[in-house]
Amino acid sequence: MMDTYAVHAEGVDRSFGGVRALRGASFAARPGEIHALAGENGAGKSTMIKVLCGLVKPDRGTVRVTGRLATAFQELSLLPDLTIAENLLLHDPPRGRLGLVVRRRLVPVAKEVLHEHGIDDLDPRTVTRDLSVAHRQVVELVRVLATRPEVLILDEPTAALQEQQVAWLAEHMRRLRAEGCCVVFTSHRWREIEALADRVTVFRNGTHVTTRERLTESEAVTLMSGRTLDATYPPLAPPGDTVALEARVGDVEVKLHRGEILGIGGLAGQGQRELFLTLFGAGRQKPAVTVGGTARTIRKPKDAIRAGIGIAYVPEDRKAEGLLLPMSVRDNLALATLERRSVAGFVRRAAEHRAVRDIVDRLAVRTASTGHPVGTLSGGNQQKVLMGRWLLSGAEVLLLFDVTRGVDAATKHDFYALVADLAAQGRAVLLYSSETEEIAHLCHRVLVMREGRVAAELEGPVGDAELIVAAAMREREHV
Amino acid sequence: MTTLDTAKRVLAGPHRRVLYAFAAAATILVAGAVIHPGFGSWTSLRTMLVLASFIGFVGAGQMLVVLVGGIDLSMPWVLNGAAIVLTTSSLGQSGRLPLAVALALGVGAAVGLANGLGVAWLGVPAVVMTLGMNGVLQGLSLGLSKGLTCGSCASYAPEPLRRLVVGRLFGVPSELLLWAGVALFVTVLLTLTTFGRRVYAVGNNPRAAFLAGVGVRGVTVVLYMLSGVFAALAGITLVAYGGQPSLGLGDPYLFESIAAVVVGGVSILGGRGHYVGVVAGSVTLVAIVTLLQAERVPEYGRNVIYGLVILAILFTYGRERADD
Amino acid sequence: MSELRAATLGYAVLAATAIAYLVVYTTSLGHLPTPFDYLSLLNTSLPLVFVAIGQSLVVLTGGIDLSVGGMVGLGVAIVAAGSTSGAAVTAGWMLAAVGAGAACGAVNGLIVAKGRIAPILTTLATLSVYSGLALKVLPVPGGEISPAVRSVLTDPDVPTGLIWLGVAVAGWLVLRRTRFGMRVYAVGSDETAARAVGVPTVWVKVGVYALSGVCSGLAAVFYVSTTTSGDPNAGDSFILTSIAAVVVGGIAFAGGRGSALGAVAGAFALTLVIDVLFFAGIDPLYQSLFQGLFLVVAVLLGSLVRWRRA
Repeated sequence: MMDTYAVHAEGVDRSFGGVRALRGASFAARPGEIHALAGENGAGKSTMIKVLCGLVKPDRGTVRVTGRLATAFQELSLLPDLTIAENLLLHDPPRGRLGLVVRRRLVPVAKEVLHEHGIDDLDPRTVTRDLSVAHRQVVELVRVLATRPEVLILDEPTAALQEQQVAWLAEHMRRLRAEGCCVVFTSHRWREIEALADRVTVFRNGTHVTTRERLTESEAVTLMSGRTLDATYPPLAPPGDTVALEARVGDVEVKLHRGEILGIGGLAGQGQRELFLTLFGAGRQKPAVTVGGTARTIRKPKDAIRAGIGIAYVPEDRKAEGLLLPMSVRDNLALATLERRSVAGFVRRAAEHRAVRDIVDRLAVRTASTGHPVGTLSGGNQQKVLMGRWLLSGAEVLLLFDVTRGVDAATKHDFYALVADLAAQGRAVLLYSSETEEIAHLCHRVLVMREGRVAAELEGPVGDAELIVAAAMREREHV
Repeated sequence: MTTLDTAKRVLAGPHRRVLYAFAAAATILVAGAVIHPGFGSWTSLRTMLVLASFIGFVGAGQMLVVLVGGIDLSMPWVLNGAAIVLTTSSLGQSGRLPLAVALALGVGAAVGLANGLGVAWLGVPAVVMTLGMNGVLQGLSLGLSKGLTCGSCASYAPEPLRRLVVGRLFGVPSELLLWAGVALFVTVLLTLTTFGRRVYAVGNNPRAAFLAGVGVRGVTVVLYMLSGVFAALAGITLVAYGGQPSLGLGDPYLFESIAAVVVGGVSILGGRGHYVGVVAGSVTLVAIVTLLQAERVPEYGRNVIYGLVILAILFTYGRERADD
Repeated sequence: MSELRAATLGYAVLAATAIAYLVVYTTSLGHLPTPFDYLSLLNTSLPLVFVAIGQSLVVLTGGIDLSVGGMVGLGVAIVAAGSTSGAAVTAGWMLAAVGAGAACGAVNGLIVAKGRIAPILTTLATLSVYSGLALKVLPVPGGEISPAVRSVLTDPDVPTGLIWLGVAVAGWLVLRRTRFGMRVYAVGSDETAARAVGVPTVWVKVGVYALSGVCSGLAAVFYVSTTTSGDPNAGDSFILTSIAAVVVGGIAFAGGRGSALGAVAGAFALTLVIDVLFFAGIDPLYQSLFQGLFLVVAVLLGSLVRWRRA
């Protein structure tokens, strides 16, 4: 039987290393519809998109796409050293006689392409490396829109965009739908899915859960996580009043107490990352920090680890900034505190084994042995190893930057309990999350950041994520 | 069944490439013994092992920098320079030997320090920095020794050193004992010390290692220094083996050091590899050349076959993983 | 315009070296260099110029080609071994040398792109193979090239070399203006992203390595023409000098940034340095010392300038 789908994948399996990203996953979308693909981080959305556009070959299953396909990826497809013009016209540059590219025509042609798509504030001569994340995303979107696709796939197209840019994109998506194009997109913002999508497909744990025309947010959350909205966040113990960490980074003043979980909120990319890195000695500024009562200048992470009661930083990107994937669970856990279990530079292996074993048991890390490469563990267990490294160091100030990204629901639950527990034991936690819900429920206090400054301070637990979003947005309107 | 499982696990594990390296060495040696009678004799093996030890020394240094994703192209003239320093400062006198050895190793360490500082602190690409230092060393060696025509340039390596390298201890060539010592040192350094852990961490992911408190720059500088010292050691032993230094003594050893490292299963991208593999790699390289010479293959054929065998080995276990 | 900016470092280094050359030449000989000096400089630079262009292409994709030594050697051997008879036959053998370079380069490209073996290792192994083939073709240095051919390529009295330099530069500018040229930069800038937007990365790589082979073949032709005889080991020195030219020319080792014109300037600068040292009365034995320092200092200056700007 011939189906009428523009995109059709069936029974797709795909594993990376030991992790199964897709298991028997199916997905189908019709021409002339806007179809949202929803799911938690790590549910397999991005992998499905890569499979659909042929960038990743499925281990099993069939994929069929009818019509001219264009895909905008989250981060990976603008060429950083090329100009906007070169990026836009890479496949079809303006040519003169002999078929040679007329380089001086690149800029005007690119300008025209941008103009056709309603973008007039970008200079096509700019090298894309120098653009802001939002502008890079706009260029990426123009690039795919300009190919006049019949099937358009957008992976998290709005994550980096400002409000009016989102409206701009929505307009183009609707126009394409009217022209009979099949538009597939993923988003973390339910409002956008509700406003744009004709149908929604929900993925969970690498497989298709449902495809519907109507879906409320709470239904969706239940479907995506396999649990209900409530009862996921643990109760918080009251914070102490001893100051654990006091620092001033640029315009941001941070005063963190023992037993306190301080949330850093705001839209993505408002200087939160730089704040965390700077406090850990890996930013551009070298701040003076008071840790547990002693003042220290933190020049490098080693200083932060050794400062006073100890600082720890857990990054969002485990692969790039946290773990050494081919190395063993043991090596990864022990790395920051090697010299504590050594004699004359030699590792005391028995002591190390005990310490590592203890952490693995405490955090219930699921691994066959501590000698296994960390890369073979699931995302959640990898994150536990990273947390374990800092439990081993005994750091009392924890900087947790978006650590639940790409982690499954069960592990997230464990993680919330762990953070609340660590705080109850008197540790101080600075927490950022791209999922505002987490900040709303898990923090004693929230600083909402906007363009490198604190825009608002909210007493927590805030409970309602909308309040934090509103605080971030309200400030923006004033500026 | 269980042995099969163990075998499978080892083959899939991080030591897989080391096993391949030994398999490659064994294959060449066995093939040699079958093709050419006498190839497998103890005399011939001993000669090959001694020749392999020189590659083993430069391979040790090269491996250490490759482990952190670097490369040391300054080896040829560090080796040559150290050889010249040794003979010209010892003047063939045993009494001056300790000083001469210290000076030669010091030259290696100093060049390594310069390389390391350039790479780690100034951010010069390793290829450029070490290539430049190779030129500097070449110019200094040639210029200061007036093209190896200086008065002291005709000196021989002192007798005790020559005995150490060509002599025997307990029936084993003492050069091989020295190599065993080097192998032990490198292996212990990399597997049992905190420094070794940091080396692999930096090689796997310098950013993550930095964020775990590892002094990435310091580790890098030490490794380049060790590389210089090992190149100098190769120069010292080579000049003791041959008696006198010559110009271009180190030239073959750049190619050989990189080849030994890669044939030994060390990833050129860094972070993975063991020195035992490099030992096997060094033996493999010498065995190929010896076999080709024994078979009276003309020079051009030796080059071609040598290159093809290395390519074949690379195809077997030197491939990068496919991007996903 | 961006072409000019991409090659700034190369031009700056070349300008500095050229001034040094003029100064030491006039102070030691008492007069400015003659046209003959300029021409012979140009002619001796040409082989390196060609190899440097090829090396630039490879480095722009984030790779490196060590086998240029073997490919130049093979080319030299083919031309020298075949050029004992008339001009027409010689021309034929020259084409054969270029063709051999293209074939060798394409093999490199296929191994790198399809075999997924690191460029430095691939070309290290093929360097041995191609050097061996050169020895097979021309076991001992020799051969002689007919004056007729020589007068077309590198006449020391007539500026034919200038024409060939023009051809080389024009060739690069044309290449830069093809879709292939744009894709070279795309692959070097971010290979994964390039693949994601549909750039045929495998064929771009095969293309650049093959072109590097072609450039090595051309370099061999000009090498034989200037030296008038062949040595199968002639290519060895080009491995390191071509990399040096690329580096001095300001091409980023990570790929994606720079221009082959910078490498051309770098090649001239490296050749000039030797003359500067000669006229400055420095013992030729110290030559490589200064070349090494020159290389490191040029790169340091380059990164210092970039650092300041950032």
